[in-house]
Amino acid sequence: MFRLEDVRKHRAQGDSAFELQVPSLEIHPGEMIAVVGESGCGKSTLLDLLALVLRPTSSQVFRFTEPNTGHSVDAAALWAGGHEDALAHLRRAHMGYVLQTGGLLPFLDVRRNIELSARVSGREPVAVSELASQLGIDNCLDRMPAALSIGQRQRVAIARAVAHGPALVLADEPTAAVDKARGAQIMERLAMLARQQGTAVVVVTHDRPLVEPLVARGYGFAVSAISDELTVSVCRPLERWKAAS
Amino acid sequence: MTRHVSNLAMLVPRLAAAQLRSDWILTLCLVIALAAVIAPLLVLMGLKQGTIETLRERLVEDPVFREIRPAQTREYAPEWFDALARRPGVEFLTPTILPLSSVLQVLPDAGKKAVVHDLVPTGPGDPLLLENGGRIPGDGEVVLSSDAARQLNVTQGQALSVRVTRARGGVSEVVEEELEVVSVLGARAGQLARLYAPLDYVLDVEAYKEGFAAPERGWPGSTPEPHLSYDGALLFLERSLSPVERTGLVINTGIVHLTDASATRVEAMIGRALPAELTAYRLSTPGATLRPSQLRALDQKLRGRQRVLLPFVSELALKGADGQPLTLLGRSLSEKEADFLGLEPVPWGAATGEAPTGERLRAFLAPASATPPGDLEVTLEGAVPLVLVLEPAGKATGELPVVSLELLAALRTGMERPLTLSADGQALEMARGGYRGFRLYADSIDSVPDLVQALEAQGIEVIAEAEAILRIQVLDAGLERLFRLIALLGISGGTAVLIASLYAAVERLRRDLGVLRLLGLARRHVFFFPVVQGVLIASMGLGASLAAYLGLATAINRSFADALLPGERFCTLSAPQVLLAVAATLLLAGMASLIAAWRATSIDPAEAIRDH
Repeated sequence: MFRLEDVRKHRAQGDSAFELQVPSLEIHPGEMIAVVGESGCGKSTLLDLLALVLRPTSSQVFRFTEPNTGHSVDAAALWAGGHEDALAHLRRAHMGYVLQTGGLLPFLDVRRNIELSARVSGREPVAVSELASQLGIDNCLDRMPAALSIGQRQRVAIARAVAHGPALVLADEPTAAVDKARGAQIMERLAMLARQQGTAVVVVTHDRPLVEPLVARGYGFAVSAISDELTVSVCRPLERWKAAS
Repeated sequence: MTRHVSNLAMLVPRLAAAQLRSDWILTLCLVIALAAVIAPLLVLMGLKQGTIETLRERLVEDPVFREIRPAQTREYAPEWFDALARRPGVEFLTPTILPLSSVLQVLPDAGKKAVVHDLVPTGPGDPLLLENGGRIPGDGEVVLSSDAARQLNVTQGQALSVRVTRARGGVSEVVEEELEVVSVLGARAGQLARLYAPLDYVLDVEAYKEGFAAPERGWPGSTPEPHLSYDGALLFLERSLSPVERTGLVINTGIVHLTDASATRVEAMIGRALPAELTAYRLSTPGATLRPSQLRALDQKLRGRQRVLLPFVSELALKGADGQPLTLLGRSLSEKEADFLGLEPVPWGAATGEAPTGERLRAFLAPASATPPGDLEVTLEGAVPLVLVLEPAGKATGELPVVSLELLAALRTGMERPLTLSADGQALEMARGGYRGFRLYADSIDSVPDLVQALEAQGIEVIAEAEAILRIQVLDAGLERLFRLIALLGISGGTAVLIASLYAAVERLRRDLGVLRLLGLARRHVFFFPVVQGVLIASMGLGASLAAYLGLATAINRSFADALLPGERFCTLSAPQVLLAVAATLLLAGMASLIAAWRATSIDPAEAIRDH
């Protein structure tokens, strides 16, 4: 569904520069993968690239294929052509996001927040109540996000990320703000929904043990200081991944 | 795809509205801030509109304020009327004969005394009639002012018996007519008792009174002789009059003043100082001339006394053959009168009180120093120029040429009315009176100042309500400027409030707008978020302002109700003005939101992922 070959993102900040290199990365439909790494290794940069909100500096292949139609889009070409509207269209049509603290809109109640992704993509929302009860938030639907606990907010964010039936869900440290037990619970719910809906999931986390039992494959980063000024991080599949099944 | 686009087009306004609702306290503050700017502006605009419109309506609706009247009497050629009527701004123009002296006797009922009323010419389109509930009268018809109708006790549709009289050759003549009252004007048209009739009718009445015929009406007449006009008279008596006698003498004669004559005047008249045994009085009526009939009436009262009455003419513009001003002494005396005053007799004898003919028209007594005496050419610079050539008939005792009193008094009449010499040169004739005035109405009060200026440029002094109109226009312009300044200030403040708060809102909502971008809204979608908010806030501010305006305007109009006529408002806005205010506010709000909108488009969706 997503195929990246030799994608690089170069970032300069003052005297120092950072370069993320992705020699090869593939995401298949319905598959859940993890991106694991310490902070500063470039895992958020990778997520921005996958979310089509960050323009790669260079790429051999940066291709998104719609799983239902098989229609293939060259994201790198869209970036080069300045077709930001087309990228925005890909985002709303095929992707869902779970942000660290939910990223819910504070001025909409829970139900409307969940429905938002469907409204943006112009689809009918899937059964919101059913989704909410699966996530254990069916009693929060008429409350405002400010009235929820952080764990509840993360579950609402997950509901929003899948409510429009996307092909790919990107989750950025969805468990960073909760304790380990709740984190595991949130991860499990996410994995369960992805399996049910056939949605591919990319989870970015620093907590390998949390995701290892749930996720088929993992990617890690090899960070090396080339010089005083340049740091290079290379993203590779992790070995000895103890997959759940 | 269209459905999708329309979904998104609806989604952004819905989200913007939801955000405002959720932050309702901040929203309320903004709405109040905007209303605090807009509401006073609306009230101010309403007050300006209301006061100016009320004053203007009062002026515009009453034709009196569009009237331009001549301030003096002079001759106007028919071509002058044609030219003036073609000027832009002229709604109605009709010539008049002699302003305020065209009169008609009306016989109310059998047995009652005839009443004299002003007769005013009118014609098609006369706004004084049409805008005061009147109809334009046709031939044989008349329109009455409300006062005239009240005095005569007639109403619309009734017949009015009128009478025109004249004295010709000492004989009183009269014609009578029936006129139909086609309408009675409202009180606003004027306080005076007046009759309005077609111009042709008024012309015929005037002409008849002067002795002309009006063949179409069957009124007889001929070409009339000029009447005699004196500027005053000296009365010489052997003994002085008591105050009671003095009053009794002038009463009922139309002569206003009887005063002691000055020595200069006496000397000018008789060529020497007043003899000790005589007393001299001066008779005059300020602003008017004396007629022979008035002097005859006075003379009657002095029967049995030794007296001489010497009328004089002083207001005369005469030129000699050399173009220099010329003064003539007019003297007609019987031998007895000459003897009484110790003067030389004149060849033409005593005063007749009638138009001069023969010697009285043709002869003069040359000044004592003129040798040899020749013909005297005299030009009268009167209503129309008139040239006479006089033949010497003897010598005068003084240094002024002497002519008959009748000639001088007829020439005095010629100062006001056109005189001509008859075909055989043996008599003076009065030409038919021309137009001596006009009634003029401008089409709007705004046209009045221009017309007044144009007439004054022609040397015609006029009376108009120009000052009242000018005052309104100056007030209007002044208020307009003031209003614009205040509006500019208010609008600047309101716009600044909107720009600042919408921009601040975008800054506060950066993360949320970033999330929306991440969820797939394009830059052009989030662009409308602040725009929609600006327009929504402005709409609510407008709503609050209009409500406040309505309340205040009602209160203002109620508290000033005493000073207003029904239907008048002190504070009012027309529908187009309200629409303009609404449109201007929304447009301004939209424009004020553009900076915030531009700011919103610059938000990077990646910020939403990072910004925690």
